[in-house]
Amino acid sequence: MRPLTRQFRDFFVSLELTVILLALSIILIFWATLAQTDLGVWGVQQKFFHSFFVLQRFGGSSFPFPVFPGGYFIGGLLLVNLLAAHFYRFKYTWRKTGIWLSHTGVILLLVGELLSGLWQQESQMTFTEGQSKNYAESFRDNELAVVDTTDPKVDKVVAIPEALLAKGDPIQSPKLPFRIIPKFYTPNSVTVAPALAQGQAASMADQGPPFLRQFVPLPQPVTYKEDEKNLPAAYVELDGPDGPIGTWLLAEELVTDPGQQPLNMPPQHFDFGGHSWKISLRATRHYRPYELTLLKVTNDVFPGTNPPIPKNFSSRVRIHSDDGRDNREVEIYMNNPLRYRGLTYYQYQMDKASNLSVLEVVSNPSWRLPYIACALVALGLVIQFGIHLFAFAGRRAAARP
Amino acid sequence: MPASRPLVLLAALLLAGGCRKPEVTAYEVPSEKDPDLGLAPASANNTNAGTETPATAAPAGAPMAGAGMANTAVPVAEGPGLVWTAPAAWQSKPASAMRKATYAVPGPGGAEGDLSITAFPSDVGGELANVNRWRGQVQLKPVDAAGLDGVVTRWSQSGLSLTAVDFTAPNGSQRMLGAIVPYNGGTWFFKLSGPAAAVGSARADFTAFLHTIRPAQP
Repeated sequence: MRPLTRQFRDFFVSLELTVILLALSIILIFWATLAQTDLGVWGVQQKFFHSFFVLQRFGGSSFPFPVFPGGYFIGGLLLVNLLAAHFYRFKYTWRKTGIWLSHTGVILLLVGELLSGLWQQESQMTFTEGQSKNYAESFRDNELAVVDTTDPKVDKVVAIPEALLAKGDPIQSPKLPFRIIPKFYTPNSVTVAPALAQGQAASMADQGPPFLRQFVPLPQPVTYKEDEKNLPAAYVELDGPDGPIGTWLLAEELVTDPGQQPLNMPPQHFDFGGHSWKISLRATRHYRPYELTLLKVTNDVFPGTNPPIPKNFSSRVRIHSDDGRDNREVEIYMNNPLRYRGLTYYQYQMDKASNLSVLEVVSNPSWRLPYIACALVALGLVIQFGIHLFAFAGRRAAARP
Repeated sequence: MPASRPLVLLAALLLAGGCRKPEVTAYEVPSEKDPDLGLAPASANNTNAGTETPATAAPAGAPMAGAGMANTAVPVAEGPGLVWTAPAAWQSKPASAMRKATYAVPGPGGAEGDLSITAFPSDVGGELANVNRWRGQVQLKPVDAAGLDGVVTRWSQSGLSLTAVDFTAPNGSQRMLGAIVPYNGGTWFFKLSGPAAAVGSARADFTAFLHTIRPAQP
């Protein structure tokens, strides 16, 4: 064996590596637990566990430095270590069946976590009674949607991820007759009426309804809290072959008065190149080839409780697929999600007063793996201890006079 | 150190595989109607910047992602905020976007006042603009800087300066009690509004409530 190959093998099969990785993961989990105070669960997941390195900015630096191995790195190495040690060290005999099964379970658990991190997609579907939706919206990701609405039956959508707006480079798509130039972008903002923005820079927008174009985005610190949503805002200029078409203000919510609910900023319409367009900044949408119609929201409370204690939240929905295969009603309530075409719809939030229901939509192709992994580990342990128990009982019976 | 070589190679490999590039996507969907937000009258009447914001523009008809569910982040909420003690009869309602707290304030004959507590970055246009915005909401004419002191009551407590108002609509149907409290670079608004009977009966409670407002960390 070549020295380099041996070096690799010895490194990956070593028990020292396992111990070091376990120690590093203890530190990582401890650090991440403390960091939850500022970052919230989602922020901690992204920074510490769904990353190869924990990145940290120092002072005013815009470049993040890797300061500690992240979850993917430690988990990945543990997996390689376990696999390598498994095949190099362990020799299969029937007496070791249990250990083999348990190890396979642990390997599956690690793989399952990695696949969940990479594949799991969470979004939400918000609708009021009578409303139908064929898309779910991301909790955290946003997109710039430029839609060709010329055809009265079909919307031709070009969706630009927020990350490209943040980069600030001109954006071009073969589907669009103009370039999009981000002139200003903030990942979180309060976009306010001009009366609330005195002393701030005036709006850069010269397109869109006069009422909307005067609103001013006030940049806010990015939030990682679970119950808060970042509300991005941007000024984008559209640049046609004959020069600039104009600048639009794009935001998700508009605040007209501190005491009022913010308004959702509607898409803004314009005509260009003989086509009708609309442009908006919105939560990233995931369209499906079927639609759900919210038929009824029910919020039961325990009788006689004041303030009322909720007993049950449920949403009655109708599934209607484009191919006509499904047209049926289902009830979604706590612990009884709807599983349909690879997605799981959970009852998430509800506002009975406005007949509004929010379903959490989870797509995770690897959701069964942790269950299989735990079953394998349990089975392996039962077999292993069983073998020892029977061997022990056999010896004791043999030793009896 | 020879043992570190495989580690570095593996790290580079994992790092390279982990980068996801955001891409522009294009697709077609059945034509969609924009939600009706009731903005039309506002856009027709409010083309000029002024102190009259379209308070009549109704809250979003079809709430979209996050609306009314998640709290909008404001910097004043990041630091220590203000705290208060509310009378037991006031029923706390879930906080919504921008709102730090909401209470239903019961009045005679089932009438109810709505108390909203909001925090907002910056001085929100200044005291005069805010007072006039509130006056506009109960159909009162705006006052000028000279007339401001005649319509507000000021006092200080716990290191805070409070500016309180009591406005009743000319037809006597609606009333609003409010206080503006600058704090920590932002502005907090305490506004009790609703039918004049309900708001009037809660006046003493509201004034006592205002006197309980204090910074969370003195």
